[in-house]
Amino acid sequence: MRLRTFALVSLLLVAAFTGANITSWKLPYPMPEDAQEGKAVWQKHNCVSCHTLFGNGGYVGDDMTNILKRRTAEDVQHYLTNPPVMRPNREHLHPALEPGEAEFLTSYLRFVGDIPTLGWPPEPRGAKQ
Amino acid sequence: MIFERSVLGYLFRKLAGRKQAQENQDTGAYQGANSKELNASHGTDSKQTNTNQRTGAPGQVFKAQIIARNYTLAAALLFGTQGIVALLGAIDLIIPDLPSPIPFEYGRSIHLGLAVLWPLIGTMGMVYYFVTEDLDREIFSPRLAKWQFWLVLAASLSIYASLTFRLGRGREYLEGLPLSYAGISLALGLFSYNLMRTLIKHKQRITPAAMIMTAGSVLLLMFLIPNILSVTNPIADEATKFWVVHAWEEMAFELTTSGFLASYLKNTGLAAKKDIEKWLYLEAALTVAAGLFGTGHHYYWIGFPAYWLLVGFLFSFLQLIPVALLVLMVYKGLKKRPQLGNRQKLTLALILSSMLYHVTGASLLGFIITVPWINLYMHGTYITSGHAHLALFGSLGFLVLGGSYYILSRGTQPDRKTYRRGIMAVLALNVGLLTMSTALIIAGFLQAYRARYLGMNFMEVNLQLNLYLSARAAGGAIFTSGDLLLTWQILKAWRKSKNAVS
Repeated sequence: MRLRTFALVSLLLVAAFTGANITSWKLPYPMPEDAQEGKAVWQKHNCVSCHTLFGNGGYVGDDMTNILKRRTAEDVQHYLTNPPVMRPNREHLHPALEPGEAEFLTSYLRFVGDIPTLGWPPEPRGAKQ
Repeated sequence: MIFERSVLGYLFRKLAGRKQAQENQDTGAYQGANSKELNASHGTDSKQTNTNQRTGAPGQVFKAQIIARNYTLAAALLFGTQGIVALLGAIDLIIPDLPSPIPFEYGRSIHLGLAVLWPLIGTMGMVYYFVTEDLDREIFSPRLAKWQFWLVLAASLSIYASLTFRLGRGREYLEGLPLSYAGISLALGLFSYNLMRTLIKHKQRITPAAMIMTAGSVLLLMFLIPNILSVTNPIADEATKFWVVHAWEEMAFELTTSGFLASYLKNTGLAAKKDIEKWLYLEAALTVAAGLFGTGHHYYWIGFPAYWLLVGFLFSFLQLIPVALLVLMVYKGLKKRPQLGNRQKLTLALILSSMLYHVTGASLLGFIITVPWINLYMHGTYITSGHAHLALFGSLGFLVLGGSYYILSRGTQPDRKTYRRGIMAVLALNVGLLTMSTALIIAGFLQAYRARYLGMNFMEVNLQLNLYLSARAAGGAIFTSGDLLLTWQILKAWRKSKNAVS
C-alpha cells in the first residue's frame, strides 16, 4: 500500500463512519424543553462521575437509564431535594438539588428512559429463575 | 528613484538574507543526511551520526527536537501529578467521610482529564521529535511549535484549575469548560498544520512513519472539534464523546504509536528499514478501519440501531490484527538481541511494558468484553474501569513515558545506580497497575454477577466491594511510588542532558 492509497482509504473511512453515526443518533421523539434543561442539570452537577447513563459513567452509584421505571418521579425528586447520607459514610450527604432542578432532571431521566437501548440495562436472569 | 532603489535594495537584501539562511538551514540538515548516507555506504550504522548508541552523545539536533523536550517534560510532570490525584481518589472511596477540599466527583474528573491530556502533550513532543528524525529535516515552523506548546499547556491546566473550583461540564473524560477544549483544538490545528507543511516542504523524503504520525495528529483534531460544545441530543452526546474516548485511543494514538515505534526502531538501528516499513501503511489503514468502526462497541446500548452490535463486534475483532502487526514489528526489532546502553534498555523496558498491556489488557480483554451478550452484563461495572486502566495507561501511557524518557535523556547515559532506580520504577508501575486492574476486574465481576445477573440491589453490592477497592488503593500506592520515582529519574535525565542537547 502506498501513501496516496492510505490517505484516500482513511478519508473514505472517516466519511463513512461519520455518516453512519449521524444517521444512527436519531431520537425516538423530539426532546422536550424541560428534558433539555434536565440534561444541563445532570451535567452541571457532574452526576456522571458517580452514576451511569446507558451504562457509561462512574461505578459508585446506580445506573440511571431507567430509574423512573423502578421509582416514581416524586420519590426521585424527594431524594434529590432531601438527600440522605450516602453509605458507607455517616455524615456525607448526596448532593442536594433545588426543587426546580430536580423536576428538570426527572424530565430528562424520563426522556432517557424512553430511548430504545436494545435491552439495557439487562433484566436479571437469576431473579427470574 | 534613489528611495525606491534603496527600499528595493533593502527588500532584496532582506530576501536574499532569508534565502541564504534557509539554504544554510537546509544544508545543515542535508549534511546530516549526507553523512548518514556516507556512513551507510561505508557499512557503518548510519544512525550513529545522530545519536551514539553507546555513549548517547547527540549528533545533529534539530530545533523541533529541542522543543519536543518541553512537551515531554510537561507530560512527565503531569504524569507525576496524576498518580497522586488518582491515589487520593482511591483512598476517598474506602475511608468513609474522608475530609477533602475537592469532592470525589470532581477529583475523579481531574483524574480522567489528566489521563487523556498528559499522553496527548507527550505524543505531540514525540511526533515532532520523530518526524524530524525520520525526515532528517527541520519542521516547517519551530516557532509555531513553541506557541503550540504554551497553548496546549495553558488549555490543559485551565481544565484542572476550573475543576478544582467545581466548574466543569459533566461529560466523562471531556470534563473541562468548552473554552479549554477550543484551546486544545487550536493547538491541535497548529500541530496538524505544522506537520502537513513539513511533509509538503520535504515531500521527496516522506516516510511511512512520518506520514502515519501526521495522519494520527490530524485525526486527533478531527475528532476533538465536535466535542468543543456538548449537544442536547443525549445519543449524539454519548457517541461524540467516544470519538475521543475510543477513536483517539484506538485509532489516532495507535497511528502515532506505530509511527513512533517504526521511527525509533529504524533510527536507533535496531531494525532494518525494509522490515519496518514493509507493512506500515497496511497496518495503519487497518488501524483506521478497525479503530473507527470498533467504536461501535460503545454504541451498543446508547440508542443506536441494532446493526451496530454486529459492526462493533466485528471491527473490535479486526482491531487485533494491526496490534499483532505492531508486536511483530517490535519483535523484528529486538530479535537480533543488540548490545544496548542503559538509556536504551530503560526506554525498551517502558516500550515492552506498553506492548504487554497492548496485547493483554487493551486488545484481548477489550475484545472479550465487546462480545454483545458479555458486554450487556459487564458494561458499566468496575471491569470497564480495569480495562480502561490497562488500555489507557498500560498501553498508551507506558509508551509515551518511553518516548519521553528517550527524548529527555538524549546525549546522556544513566549510571548503574540511576538505571537500577529506573528499572525499579518501571517494576513498581507494572506491579501497581496489575494489582489495581485485577482488583477492579474482580470487583466488576461481582457487580456484574450479583447486581446484573442475580438482580441484587446495586448499592448493597457496592458496599460488599470494600476489600477489592482497598486492594485497588494498595495497588495505587505502589503505582504512585513508581510514578514519582520514574518522574524523578526523568527530571534528572532532563537536567543532565540540558547542556548536551543545547
